[in-house]
Amino acid sequence: MNKTREIRVRELKKDIPKIAKSMCDTMLVDLEKARRPVLEAVKCSLDNSFYNAKVGYLTPGEKKVKTELNVSSVQKMARTIFVLEILLNNLSASVVNNKREIYYIAKGLIRSSMHLKPLDFDDQNESDSIIDFICDMLEVYREEMNCFANDRGGQTYSKQLVVTEHLSDGTSAVVDLGQMGTTPFQPKNRPQSFKLKGKGKIEFCLVIESEGTANTLVANGMHTRHPCIIIGAQGVPSNGVRGWCKSIQDQLKVPMYFYGDLDAYTLQNIFRTLKAGSAASLIRNSDFSAPDVRFLGVLPEDVKQYDLHCYNVNEKDPVEMRSLKKAKDTLENDPFFQDKKNKKLADILRWLIKEKKRCEQQAVFSVDPKDPLILEKVIIEKIKKGIFI
Amino acid sequence: MSKITSSSTAEYFAKNLQQVGFSSPTKAVLTTLKEAVDNALDACEEANILPELTVSIQKLGNGSSRNTDLIEIIVEDNGPGIELEDLPKVFGEYLASSKFGRGRCSRGQQGIGISAATTWAQLTNATGVKVISKTKSMRKAVTATVDVDIKGNRGLLKNKETIEWDRPHGIRVDFRIDGRIQLNGDGGLLTYLEGTTLVNPHLTLHYKLLDENMVHVERVSDSVPEIPPSTLPHPHTMKLGEFMTHAALFGKITLENFIKKGFSRVTDQTIKAMVAKGLPRNNLNRSLAQISEEEFKKIFQVIQETELVNPSTKSVLTVGEEGLAKSIHRLGEVDFFSVVTRKPTICDHKPVVVEAAIARFLTRGDPDTPVQLLRFANRVPLQFDKGACAITRAVESVNWRAYGLMQPKDSLPQGPFVFAVSVTSPFIKFKNASKETIDGGEDLIEEIRRTLMQAGQKLSRHIRAEDKAADLERKLQHIEKFGPILVEGLARIVGATKSREERAEEGLKKLLGREASDAEKAMSDAEVKLKSMQDKEKRKFGSEVFEGKIFEKKSEGIGDVESNENEA
Repeated sequence: MNKTREIRVRELKKDIPKIAKSMCDTMLVDLEKARRPVLEAVKCSLDNSFYNAKVGYLTPGEKKVKTELNVSSVQKMARTIFVLEILLNNLSASVVNNKREIYYIAKGLIRSSMHLKPLDFDDQNESDSIIDFICDMLEVYREEMNCFANDRGGQTYSKQLVVTEHLSDGTSAVVDLGQMGTTPFQPKNRPQSFKLKGKGKIEFCLVIESEGTANTLVANGMHTRHPCIIIGAQGVPSNGVRGWCKSIQDQLKVPMYFYGDLDAYTLQNIFRTLKAGSAASLIRNSDFSAPDVRFLGVLPEDVKQYDLHCYNVNEKDPVEMRSLKKAKDTLENDPFFQDKKNKKLADILRWLIKEKKRCEQQAVFSVDPKDPLILEKVIIEKIKKGIFI
Repeated sequence: MSKITSSSTAEYFAKNLQQVGFSSPTKAVLTTLKEAVDNALDACEEANILPELTVSIQKLGNGSSRNTDLIEIIVEDNGPGIELEDLPKVFGEYLASSKFGRGRCSRGQQGIGISAATTWAQLTNATGVKVISKTKSMRKAVTATVDVDIKGNRGLLKNKETIEWDRPHGIRVDFRIDGRIQLNGDGGLLTYLEGTTLVNPHLTLHYKLLDENMVHVERVSDSVPEIPPSTLPHPHTMKLGEFMTHAALFGKITLENFIKKGFSRVTDQTIKAMVAKGLPRNNLNRSLAQISEEEFKKIFQVIQETELVNPSTKSVLTVGEEGLAKSIHRLGEVDFFSVVTRKPTICDHKPVVVEAAIARFLTRGDPDTPVQLLRFANRVPLQFDKGACAITRAVESVNWRAYGLMQPKDSLPQGPFVFAVSVTSPFIKFKNASKETIDGGEDLIEEIRRTLMQAGQKLSRHIRAEDKAADLERKLQHIEKFGPILVEGLARIVGATKSREERAEEGLKKLLGREASDAEKAMSDAEVKLKSMQDKEKRKFGSEVFEGKIFEKKSEGIGDVESNENEA
């Protein structure tokens, strides 16, 4: 493959192949001397997460996970080195793969060489965890290892947004979203490399939890009546969506709002990840979170004001009950919700635990069933009146 | 008002045979066999004879009732035999028993079972039981058919004859009843016969079921268990009515004498304690006949409030660890086993002894199915209503995972094991007249639990040694599998020379070899512990018994085809 210009997520002052090689060399020397090699990675868990509202996202503490070679860990180490070699080969050839593809590449290599059979992965979760371990160990983003998520989400609509993309052959492509009708713009795996510009003033960026609801707003012409950007998050935001929102926030400096269900899952897993990152991605939260995003709704007061239909949490449903239990744990252990700056978000969790109710983002359509624009009107009203957190 | 009539005991049971084990055609066959075998074994033990039983169960044709077969059940023993005049009482009269209320650990207790079997035969096949009997003093054997006179609750002898019988003494009973045959499973005939074999090491049993070959199971003990003398009841286990009925048996003796003679371990000291609790001293010298019902009630209440010495435990009988250890090999090829006989103790004021045998077999059971639980009360297998039994509750309450067994929550453990639990007591409380489940209080359940936990500890030595061996195997395999791949990968990434790669592989082997030797040490520690326990058991039971060698010879005939089969 031709040597091409590298598209970067950030200015990385690390030579990944060199660091990886040096690490492997140290391991080999240890083994030659019959010493136990140790692999060390940042501990990516809530108990090693810190949150400072001024920083805006979860950052890692000092804790490390050490994996020392022994009979029990020899399999994990062998798998780590095996997958690392695949990723290094991709880097040197400047080719990319998503996690699912890496899983199959690994399986293909194992199939072609009988003695590698013990390394075989039963499912993608096993190879994914090895990839995450490698990234945590080298303290690099998965994207910097040329490995991306399987699906991204983040379809974006706007009449004003213009995206300039620098291509690997050195040329640039300019995409004017206003010229795309109702066709969405799909952010790339490394959205931080885009240059963004607004044709005229962009009043706000709206991130909708449901891709379908985002589509409804666009189809009904919200983006033609209001100079804005509408993004469908498609559930828990992928790295691509998180990086895209971060770029919009940093480059366009427009207010950003999130609108989704009123339940513990949305608040903890979707909104918190978008705004401050997650404990699992501590090393990359700085480039994959949009700390300025505000929670527009659904808010508990919206339920009251618009008399929105709620579902009672089914106490016999283990999934729903687990979500509430997780909300209780979150209030006790999650530094994001414990920060006084996010007290109002924590209050929503408390409300959910107390009321044992949940309200879906589409419930607003029951406010005036004959008005197809009701959701747009409610959203605009809430933005204008400042009813968000 | 309709006329009130009274019925005989036989009439009652004839109408309620389901209460004594004849609730279905399948149970009818098992219960008939069980009653005949129990009586034979009890009779042999009473007469100090080593029992040798021959059992044959055959299908003769269709039964008279719908969906039943006509089943022939023959049980022959080498017991003392029964005199001709006693045959009607034994086989045809309810509650005519030499064992009723005697406080001994015999299998039969009330004198209901065998008469019920005769009644069932009579009701379903219009003829009672055909008996051949010969006592030592008889020159020729007698044969007769015993029917039950249901109205009069007495046995009737028919077709009496004297015949030549080439046995010195014994009984042969031949029942023909409507029934259905189930061989395996909890309620199966084979399960019954195996259970009976297990807890009767002194029994030689020959059996032929349907078209299967004759099976010979040789005895593994040459001593007849000595049935301990009977024990008197303990007043705290009685209800007022029972107390008064018990008093009626003693005629006109004084109250003091009744309390002393009628109950276990009541001494002058106990009487003093009763007086201190409010028993009027002047009542002690009064005749029982002079004491009113009201006074009996007060006396009974005082006795209940007085702290009494527990009854003697001498009346209980054990199979014994050695007997169980020998006998368990008769069920199949044993991988390993653990037997525990607890010391006799008192549970709910009754003397009790609990024994347990746990064995893993090479050819029985499945790792994913519950263990086979064999329950025994006074050495009689209990085969129905398992869930309600105190033994089952005790087994389920033990945390078997601690001993290395799989166990779903609040359930029986799983694996190819047989768990045999035997409770022996002169006063076992059953949940029903057909004696299918033990109704145990907390004391008894705890005693059974302790027995099982003791057996579990021995068992865990074996399982732990196996686990350690498997761990070592796994570690060695891990090293062999992953070590070279790791080194090769590192060498490729680094671009290392072949010699570096070899050195690293050597280093890796050293490193992981150290761990393997740790695992090896853990395994050998576990094996040393196991061996020390095995040595102890070998000293206790003898090495041949322990390894099951003595059975290889004696059990040769099991399952063999006999060419000229003579039926019993």
